[in-house]
Amino acid sequence: MRKAFSDTLVKVAEENPRLAFITGDLGFQLFDEFHARFGARYINAGVAEAQLINAAAGLAAEGFHSVAYSIASFVTARPFEQIRYCVAYPNLPVTIVGAGRGLTYANAGVSHHALDDVALMTAIPNMTVVIPGEPGEIEQLFPQVTALPGPAYFTVGRFGEPRYEAEAPAVLGMARLLRKGDGIAIVTMGEMAGEVLNACKILAADKITPVVYQMHTVKPLDTATLNALARQVKTILVVEEHLPMGGLWSAMTNWSASLTKPVQLIRLGPPDEFALGNLTRDGFRRRMGFDATAIAATCRRLSQ
Amino acid sequence: MNAFQLQQKARELRATCIQLAHDGREGHLNGALSSVDLVSALYAGWLRISPDDPTEEGRDRFVFSKGHACTSLYAVLADRGFISKELLKQYARDKTPLPSHPCIHALPILECSSGSLGHGLGVATGRSYGLRLKKSSARVVVLLGDGECNEGSTWEAAMFATANKLDNLLAIVDYNRIQSVGRTDQLNGFASYEDKFRAFGWAVQPIDGHDYTQILEALDAFPLARGKPTAIIAKTTAGRGVSFMEDQVLWHYRVPSDDDLARALVELEAQPIHVALPQEVGT
Repeated sequence: MRKAFSDTLVKVAEENPRLAFITGDLGFQLFDEFHARFGARYINAGVAEAQLINAAAGLAAEGFHSVAYSIASFVTARPFEQIRYCVAYPNLPVTIVGAGRGLTYANAGVSHHALDDVALMTAIPNMTVVIPGEPGEIEQLFPQVTALPGPAYFTVGRFGEPRYEAEAPAVLGMARLLRKGDGIAIVTMGEMAGEVLNACKILAADKITPVVYQMHTVKPLDTATLNALARQVKTILVVEEHLPMGGLWSAMTNWSASLTKPVQLIRLGPPDEFALGNLTRDGFRRRMGFDATAIAATCRRLSQ
Repeated sequence: MNAFQLQQKARELRATCIQLAHDGREGHLNGALSSVDLVSALYAGWLRISPDDPTEEGRDRFVFSKGHACTSLYAVLADRGFISKELLKQYARDKTPLPSHPCIHALPILECSSGSLGHGLGVATGRSYGLRLKKSSARVVVLLGDGECNEGSTWEAAMFATANKLDNLLAIVDYNRIQSVGRTDQLNGFASYEDKFRAFGWAVQPIDGHDYTQILEALDAFPLARGKPTAIIAKTTAGRGVSFMEDQVLWHYRVPSDDDLARALVELEAQPIHVALPQEVGT
């Protein structure tokens, strides 16, 4: 996904001479082509996230679309006030890019875990929050996000995530249908989509075919699609690599609370605790019960 | 306006700040009275910005980062024709364009909102960088409080400005030596702002921030060095101009009473620029 991101960034910058990229001293060699081609439109703010965001805000106030890049855990929590006060309050066109959200950097420790990034970013008015799941979604969604007149939070995984097929293109603000199905539905966010599709492969042997949506745009939430889905199925399984507060689960339960005919929501994801133990990402998903095996087992139980 | 004319005008501007704080029931007079000479000097012809078209692309950008002290900004904007003097009567009132901390949505001629400290210099560096990318000759000026310089983000921005050779950027520190509940020098261990900015690679000019001759000379010398951002460390007095307000932590927040206002106006031998106006009819 990193390579897809740096390539897409170059393409967007080719078309928009007012796009500026500013990094918090991260992305070794990843942005060499951008730097070589666009010169001063590449800026390294140093390990200074408050400055990263405020400089991005200043550039945006001068008519640029700024793309501010750092690791997801650093670029959301530390400069939260800069994002809220200097970017979102004046509604400036700044795309904040968080690399390696969730448990991407699992065994780097809690410092590098970003399990609260969606909570922080969706809490801010004017923000659009987009969590792509594979390189193709980066390529499709990043140009849409950088065409917005206001701020956005956009995440990028690591290297080598597999591309997946889908029933529809990725359109900003719309839940993306990955698999048609019946009986139950799975709604997921970001790279968990890959895990969910692996679960679907396991379930195919049992002829269980959940409807699968990737909710890449968590804010604003595509309630029209969800309303239609709630008429189609009795149970929606929500799978997220985020804490229970403020992520996709929170957004979904907020939505469902206002339904006249309720739909059952079930969650798989990390509990409300720091992810200790220095496991790999797969290890955490297994231990916390939201890997493909656990997703498949839950679907089987719900299908009985 | 020359230094002598500005000195005369300063009494009226101080009276205006005090009247605003009294009528709006919002204090912060220490920083308003310490900064008013700096703001007035900037808007005396040095800033390339016109009240006829205050958001014109080629204008100089003025970032008033110490937002709580905004009565000095509002008084000067009204005196120089950027907003009406009548509008000053709305300071800190319901639905006002002039809240007690400036808001760009309420008053769109501002470059930014301010109220949370430590953001002005960082945003200004982004603007300076953006102006250079646009090949604009416009300059960016930030007025910082000395208490505001407690914020680490100010120094992240100072580093960035040097690293990127932002010589179209001017930071003016209103070194009034008093902050919300303490004295600045005690809180920063009596280390000098001149030394700090120099160590961060800036060209630095210390001045007396109430001496218009020194202020105007320092502004005219900008940029002090090619390829470097410039800092003016303006030594000022909190509550300057009113004997019972000067250099007291009390007057950071305190709202002047009727008696305080009357005594201050007598001392200043001046009237606020907006109170002698005829009352609005039918409102």
